[in-house]
Amino acid sequence: MYRGREGQWAFYLHRISGVAIILFLTLHVTEISSSMFGPKWFNALLAFEANPIFGLGLVAVAALVLYHALNGLRIILMDFTSWGVKYQRQLWYGVWVLYVIVGFPMLFAMLGHVFGGGE
Amino acid sequence: MAMRARQFEEAKRLATSNLELAWWIFMRVSGVLLVFLVLGHLYTRAVVFNFHHELNYAHMVKVMNSPVWKFYNWVLLFLSILHGTNGLRYVIDDYIASGRVRAWVKVLVYTFVFLVTVFGTIALWGWRYQPMG
Ligand code: HEM
Ligand code: HEM
Repeated sequence: MYRGREGQWAFYLHRISGVAIILFLTLHVTEISSSMFGPKWFNALLAFEANPIFGLGLVAVAALVLYHALNGLRIILMDFTSWGVKYQRQLWYGVWVLYVIVGFPMLFAMLGHVFGGGE
Repeated sequence: MAMRARQFEEAKRLATSNLELAWWIFMRVSGVLLVFLVLGHLYTRAVVFNFHHELNYAHMVKVMNSPVWKFYNWVLLFLSILHGTNGLRYVIDDYIASGRVRAWVKVLVYTFVFLVTVFGTIALWGWRYQPMG
């Protein structure tokens, strides 16, 4: 494709993450808004979701959001600056450096909530 | 049709209509805003806040009756729904070749998204959450 090797990966990951997030969002809004049905229903729903499988699902969603956000910023830089396209490969590595720096603390905090028990 | 433009000048040239160019710009503007809104939401709700133990009905009573959070969540809801659904439209245009199938898929997707958005908006602005007990 026109953007070379890294560009192709960047494009498909951006696409897959975007579609996954909008699917999650429709479920998420439905679930959260169903709190209108009252405490009995809502707390039962949350008890069902206390299973770590759901927690790991949220971790996956957060991981996809972080990639989509950082790569989205890279796309915007390429679109509106004169140097963005020239340095797109370097920017792509920059995305991953930031991803690790921001992502790891997030990952550990979230895994702590899923498996750590709460006060 | 979706544009695969990678520069603003190119987008202006490729846009088949002013509306299509407006969507192209909207994707970028909403993207920048969503960085703050979505990452802020993730940080406060998924990192600071223990979602496995503190997300319960009592939390909803507190948050959903607060005007500040109502507004924050409503902007988050609208921007991410518009951005995400327009993104889905690009994907549908790219992968579904048959015009008839494509039109039906879009009708179904837009209807579903619309209903979810109405439900979410009612939850935010049209409901009083009674405290438990
Ligand atoms: C967090 C900040 C975000 C940024 C910076 C961002 C940025 C972008 C950009 C620049 C594009 C390319 C648009 C184009 O090709 O014209 C895009 C596409 C897309 N975004 Fe986002 N976005 C963000 C959040 C989201 C969210 C929350 C969702 C889902 C609800 C989402 C779903 C999508 C989808 C489905 C596409 C289309 C992908 C494609 O055409 O390959 N994005 N985003
Ligand atoms: C992955 C971890 C996530 C957790 C634990 C989480 C948690 C929550 C919670 C507890 C609420 C209830 C209201 C509040 O506390 O403000 C909420 C509402 C909301 N969340 Fe999330 N969220 C997550 C991810 C996301 C993502 C990625 C998006 C956007 C793409 C999102 C969009 C929304 C919206 C729009 C609302 C308001 C819904 C409404 O009232 O109609 N959330 N979330």
